[in-house]
Amino acid sequence: MRKDSPYTWQNNLIVVLMNLTVFPLLIIMTIIGIFMSPPAFILFKIFSRLETMRIIRIFVWIYGRGWLAIIKPFTRFQTEGLRKGDIQPPCIVVPNHLSFFDTYFMGALPITNLCFAIRSWPFKMAWYRPFMRLARYLDVEDMAWEESFESCKRELRNGATLIFFPEAHRSRDGKLGRFYSGAFKVSVATGVPIIPLCITGTGKLYPPGRWFFKPAKVCLKALPAVAPSEFSGPLGHLAMRKFVKALMAEQIEKMR
Amino acid sequence: MRMTNEEIIQIINNSLIKEFELDSKKMIPEAMLYDDLELDSLDRVDMVIVLENAFKFKIKEEKEIRDIRTLGDIHNFVINKIRDIERAS
Repeated sequence: MRKDSPYTWQNNLIVVLMNLTVFPLLIIMTIIGIFMSPPAFILFKIFSRLETMRIIRIFVWIYGRGWLAIIKPFTRFQTEGLRKGDIQPPCIVVPNHLSFFDTYFMGALPITNLCFAIRSWPFKMAWYRPFMRLARYLDVEDMAWEESFESCKRELRNGATLIFFPEAHRSRDGKLGRFYSGAFKVSVATGVPIIPLCITGTGKLYPPGRWFFKPAKVCLKALPAVAPSEFSGPLGHLAMRKFVKALMAEQIEKMR
Repeated sequence: MRMTNEEIIQIINNSLIKEFELDSKKMIPEAMLYDDLELDSLDRVDMVIVLENAFKFKIKEEKEIRDIRTLGDIHNFVINKIRDIERAS
């Protein structure tokens, strides 16, 4: 069961202050991002000569860092295993999923070339959609499995780090939900390791069904890479999925 | 020994629950694979291998597999396949 802060007037005041701060700042950051990205893109293109997709992924990562700065005064934020060099691309990061804002916390990863493999609905947000399309994020819900598999292989070949939320849905009770197999199938087929990423606290910060923030302690812990070579056979990816889920469940229990 | 239809259904349900973490309460014949059991297209591919392993036969009927929509369709497909094998042997 989710434990919330007691309803004292001081706590309520902090909640009000938090929501009067975080929402406007997030909207302002988003609007500035939308209007500043074309000139920033041109400058990046001239000086870095990176592909469009890479530049937009850097922008999204910077946006995530901005989110971390906005939320910082109201959260105790801890990371483990996310220092520079801790995660070596190409790899597949599989976080558990508690909140809409989990994706924003991916700004804490020490890598900018992140490719989200996600469901269709985030692509429906008009203000994010152009960036998501330009960043070539993968809409794995609308794609046939063979197509998304080929896209994942291409991204990994190009040195990207894939992010799959294996539960596909946000957990409503804090427990890990059913894991889908896509990330693990890609891992076993390509030989690229899985990085389990355990998240706690975002379900208290902004859980599904609640439309305002509450202060929370948010922890992100990346576990050591799991090599796919341990899992062979036509159903090796299912065994890997069960193994990774068990690791994450154990770690999340410790982090609570 | 000849398996009854109930035993076959039990093996199918248990295999799917174990491999795909399905909710046993949702395992009714009318359950739609995509909408109710929330299986995806990859699960459908894996399901064939899971059933092959559970019953030690090969599934080559691609069209029949493509037409499967509900858990009851899987039950009927496997029962018919086992009965065909029994008749042939």
